[in-house]
Amino acid sequence: MEIKLLRIAKGQPEQIEIRCHEITEEVREIVTFVKTRQGQLTGVQEGKQYEVPVLDVCYIEAVDNKVFLYTQKQVYETRQKLYELEELLKEKYFLRVSKSLLLNLMKVKSIKPALNGRFLAILQSGEEIIISRKYVQELKNALKGGI
Amino acid sequence: MHGKEFTIDLIRTFFTVVTLVNVAILVMGLWFAPDIQFGYEAFEAPLIYGAVGTLPNIVMYSKKELSVKALFVRKVLQFILIEVLVLFAAFYGAEVYWQQPKIIVSVGISIFLIYVVASIIDWIQNYVTAKRMTDELVKFQERVRG
Repeated sequence: MEIKLLRIAKGQPEQIEIRCHEITEEVREIVTFVKTRQGQLTGVQEGKQYEVPVLDVCYIEAVDNKVFLYTQKQVYETRQKLYELEELLKEKYFLRVSKSLLLNLMKVKSIKPALNGRFLAILQSGEEIIISRKYVQELKNALKGGI
Repeated sequence: MHGKEFTIDLIRTFFTVVTLVNVAILVMGLWFAPDIQFGYEAFEAPLIYGAVGTLPNIVMYSKKELSVKALFVRKVLQFILIEVLVLFAAFYGAEVYWQQPKIIVSVGISIFLIYVVASIIDWIQNYVTAKRMTDELVKFQERVRG
């Protein structure tokens, strides 16, 4: 795929246009990457596609090979893989806290101890998320500015 | 739980249990046999009981993240194993104590109390860690919001 970059005047709106023969998985990945960089994720709910602001997402969970975005009130399915989202959303303060879950640290109200060295993240919504002990050190590092 | 974390946990539990066994021996000794004198070999006992009491921690090891139910079942199993192993280590071959169930029951209760206190100490350590993380989290969020 050829890449062209065109500098435009300040008054003109910036845009990205992809010209392709077919909308392949690769093209979708590029679109997703751009959207994520702009602070949006694409989610599907009851067959309809929505643009979900990253800031509204509390956590992202993988369940049975499907990935879901959880906002305070809604749940959306996304086509992206959890590891892709982990990489893309690092700068948006999302951190892996268990094998199947990415947590938005900006949505966490407090942390409590749970059983067997695990911890619970209490979200602003009151929901509780388990932090596996394997990821506790990474969380500590992230909170100290290592994210 | 990974091997490294598990080993660190095991060592931490061992030293907690050794300290609590010392306290239990002190209390029970003063209660049942305040006049008995010991030699240096007495220092072995807390270490041996500490090791025997820590050994059943193996049932808590799992590579997968355990569910709350599975954790509870393993905790119960761990406690039963501790009781059986420590009582066995303390009274095997010591027929003289079999005639004194009061002492055996007291040791059994001491094991239970040590288990509870060790669990509370563990929880307090996690509580302090959680509080520290919450403080760091608040600072982190303030930094991000500018």
